Amino acid sequence: MMNKMLKWILWLAGFVFLILYPKLFGIYYSNVFVTFAIFALYATSYNLLLGYTGLLSFGHAMFFGTGAYGTALALTHISGFPLIPALLAGALAAAILALILCPIMVRVGGTAFAMLHLAFGGLMYVLALKLRHITGGEDGIGGFDIPPFSIPGIVSFDMTDPLQFFYFAMVVLIGSIWILWFFTKTPFGQIMIAVRDNAKRVDYLGFRVPQTKAVIYVFSGAFCGVAGAVYALFQNLISAEDGFHVMTSFAPIMLTMVGGIGSFFGPIFGSAIFGILEELTTRYTERVELVFGLVLIFVIMFAPMGFVGTVKMIKEKWFTRQGV
Amino acid sequence: MKGKKWLLSIVVVVCCIALLGLSPAMGAKSKFDPSKMGDMSDLDLSNPVIPTGDTIKIAIVASFSGPAAAVGDIYFASVQSVAHDYNKRGGILVDGKKKLVQVIKANHESKVPIAKKVSERMVLQEKVDVLWGTNGSHLMKVINQVADKYKTIAVSAAAVSDELYDAQNFSRYSFMTSISTSQVGRGMAYYYGQVRKKETKFYILCQDYLFGHSIAGGFKAGLKEYYPDAELVGEDYHKLFLTDFAPYLTKVKAAGAEVVYTGDWIPDAANLLVQARQMGLDLPFANLFINNPPFLQQVGIEGTDGLVHIGQIGSDGKAFKTEGQIKYYKAWNDQYPKWKKPFDTTTYEHGTGTIGAYRMQTYWLLDVIERAGSTDPEKIIKVWENDTWEDVNGTVYKMRGIDHKTERDLFIELYVPPEQQKESMNIEPYYWFKDCSNTGPSYKLPADKVTPVMDPKLKDIRKGS
Amino acid sequence: MDPVTAMYVAQGMHGLAYGMILFLLASGLTLIFGMMGILNLAHATFFMLSAYLCYQVIAWTGSFWLALLIAPIVTGIIGVLLERFLLRKVHAFGHIGELILTVGVSLVILESVKVFWGTESLPVQIPNVLQGLVTAGGLDYPIYRLFIIGLSLVILIVLMLILYKTRLGMVVRAAVSDADMVDALGINVPLVFMLVFGVGTWMAGVAGVAIAPILTVFPGLADQVGMDAFIVVVVGGFGSLGGALLVAIICGLLNSYGVQFVSQLAPVLMYIFMAIVLVFKPMGLFGERE
Repeated sequence: MMNKMLKWILWLAGFVFLILYPKLFGIYYSNVFVTFAIFALYATSYNLLLGYTGLLSFGHAMFFGTGAYGTALALTHISGFPLIPALLAGALAAAILALILCPIMVRVGGTAFAMLHLAFGGLMYVLALKLRHITGGEDGIGGFDIPPFSIPGIVSFDMTDPLQFFYFAMVVLIGSIWILWFFTKTPFGQIMIAVRDNAKRVDYLGFRVPQTKAVIYVFSGAFCGVAGAVYALFQNLISAEDGFHVMTSFAPIMLTMVGGIGSFFGPIFGSAIFGILEELTTRYTERVELVFGLVLIFVIMFAPMGFVGTVKMIKEKWFTRQGV
Repeated sequence: MKGKKWLLSIVVVVCCIALLGLSPAMGAKSKFDPSKMGDMSDLDLSNPVIPTGDTIKIAIVASFSGPAAAVGDIYFASVQSVAHDYNKRGGILVDGKKKLVQVIKANHESKVPIAKKVSERMVLQEKVDVLWGTNGSHLMKVINQVADKYKTIAVSAAAVSDELYDAQNFSRYSFMTSISTSQVGRGMAYYYGQVRKKETKFYILCQDYLFGHSIAGGFKAGLKEYYPDAELVGEDYHKLFLTDFAPYLTKVKAAGAEVVYTGDWIPDAANLLVQARQMGLDLPFANLFINNPPFLQQVGIEGTDGLVHIGQIGSDGKAFKTEGQIKYYKAWNDQYPKWKKPFDTTTYEHGTGTIGAYRMQTYWLLDVIERAGSTDPEKIIKVWENDTWEDVNGTVYKMRGIDHKTERDLFIELYVPPEQQKESMNIEPYYWFKDCSNTGPSYKLPADKVTPVMDPKLKDIRKGS
Repeated sequence: MDPVTAMYVAQGMHGLAYGMILFLLASGLTLIFGMMGILNLAHATFFMLSAYLCYQVIAWTGSFWLALLIAPIVTGIIGVLLERFLLRKVHAFGHIGELILTVGVSLVILESVKVFWGTESLPVQIPNVLQGLVTAGGLDYPIYRLFIIGLSLVILIVLMLILYKTRLGMVVRAAVSDADMVDALGINVPLVFMLVFGVGTWMAGVAGVAIAPILTVFPGLADQVGMDAFIVVVVGGFGSLGGALLVAIICGLLNSYGVQFVSQLAPVLMYIFMAIVLVFKPMGLFGERE
């Protein structure tokens, strides 16, 4: 009972903190926070696949990028297209891509799964690069009008205002993360974990493994698309490099590893750690990549379970000592 | 009543004549004056003196890491040298107070999201007065967006795509002091069609992104205008940071091209030229960015002989015609030997060429701020729109009010072996570089023949404001 | 030969030369993965590092040949150290661990290179004997590119001889198919692994030196070649040298003839080829093991 109450208080505190955040830290850090939240959602959606089914993808940027391009293209070509449908257009585009790919993807695993994603991710990247009359190529598409968030006749929020966009982005991103979290708690989520741990047994129990994988795959892709869509709205620009480059595919893997693999909140911590790190390093050195490289090496050598895993380990040690 | 109206119109006419007479006089007044330069004998780029506190802040938003990191250093050297000059003069009187000029490096890592973030940080946290950018049209676009959003002055000194200042992307806070792609294209076409009148077969080989297509488009439009007899024997757009140019070069060879027109910058430009020479392709390259000295030295005298470079700064014939020009040149060149990494390469030897162009644009910027007497963006815009200013070589820059592009003369430089470089380098040691070809004969392309394109839609948009 | 045929032949040669560079790079990658299961994303960084070392050796000694000898060996030694002291320890965490580690290592090497050599493009000259063109039947072709093709062929043949004609080669091949069994037979598998890793990075180093005079040496040197080499390995099948050779040449030819015929879409061809192969053979053309 007490515990539940504490949880609610924590949620409430977090909620209040978020509302006050722009007031406390100003526009610049609000934008930093939006970036963090976008990558948190991206990595969390990715981790749905990696952490819960053990499937390692080297090409998830294609969902992120497709989401971003979906939204950007909709807003560029359809004048007066409203905000929410634009966002959904991105998510839908990513989901459709995942639907198309999943018949190929669910029948392989391990290295083949990773490499197929590398291949299709790479294909999407060069296509975005080369079909410049559609995608804007290297420069990308940008400068499209960001429609206001409005319920006709009631309210209208100007999304070009950084503050109002902050709240909008928070609602979408945190809402999405919450949906993902809820998803893992459903009976279906339990099957997901079972697939990762012992696919054969799940099969014997009468659940269809490929179909389960396919559902997760599409789900994961769609939410990567949401992250991408918000990204496009936030940057007001999406290019082949940001959307589809192989480093964009590696980003969620790194965030997940640094934050802690096998934990739902790991990627969120990872995103926060990288966000803070980037803020600090870019201020003091031009050798940002050197710092990132060293951090990656350090994490994998000394804290391979990531932030969450390490905290858990320290906690366990602490409690056992207490017990003794 | 009637009589009064008549009188009034006379007054108006007289006023107009007076204004007309006055404006060239005013234009002549604002220029770069070498005699006003501060003592530059302690200019040390590797140990720059950068004031802090209540200053005029210029952020150089550029890549200081990643594949294009070298350009960040070049920008910094250029802008810092100008800031140093003004600081030695005692600063600039703005808003009732003499302030020094502070140059801040802002690393965009050649990435769009970082460019946005770092520009925002510069504006919102460092409270800079000017965002000075940058290599890559897509990155400059982001800087301009930030400038527009937070009402800060931006200067595009190195991004040259015309599209950045079309109706869709225009921001009244951003000024394009650099050359533009349409100017480059028209200039080259004008030179080949109206001045040189020799080669007729051209091959366009550019990078596959906005800038590459834009600079190629400029050339095609220019050929139509100034050289209808020319034949375009091929046109290719290659990926950025390409490894193997050989397949393209074989096509160039087979097409029978006489001139290759390219907008490539280094490292692509370097690999293109090196591989062309290795394959025995001795064509002239009409270029904008194949002018980096260490790279020219790498290719050697023979390989760089016959390159045709178009530049935004230069002179008709001899480089040094006045004492002031020599003083300005020496202020940099005399200090060069003592600089250390990364400013010890031949890129930084003369402070002319690309660096010279960045320096002059920065002088213009600071001169505008000085005349505005304020760092208030609105006051700067007021002074800068339709402003005319004369650089060290006497070239007049005119900031077009409607679309913020600069009208100016351009210069064609023909690269020749060292012993012929005295045609341009007319002071000791009478060559620019002794181990590569460089500017010899040079020609002025008059400003009215190479005006940058203007998006017609902007006229209507700007009328309203 | 009429000019048009000469052009097509020249394009074929370009494809072959680029393909051979890809092969040198990809063969190391594929051996390392096939045998040790390591996804070495730092492989292309070694390629770049070697080009820089080549520049440095030439700056000191003036000899390209010395550079060709020394730079790859130094690169190989750094590779061995990486394997021995870092990679071996994270092997237990599987592909993700290696991925993170090698990405980290490649970032560190990339930045270190910039600290030592700066960021401007650096020159490496073609040695005098290899300068110029060969003219045969109306076709002019640069000698240096022929040299690259020849050098790669020599390395390929030596590698094949070692792999298929020596005891060491037998052990390596056996370890590729079943490392545990080889270990059980009393052979020092970690040592063999280290050796293979060293040879793999050495070959990346050779490729780096070979390409240095064609490309200027700059920090982004490895970006494209690295990705292309990765494609070669994936499509050829992990662990398959023959597959790597075949696919490297196909990719080289797709690249040069792509530029010739569908210039704008040339880079797309390789990826389409990759996607098609993988859809039907997810483990690559000659890959078997999961």
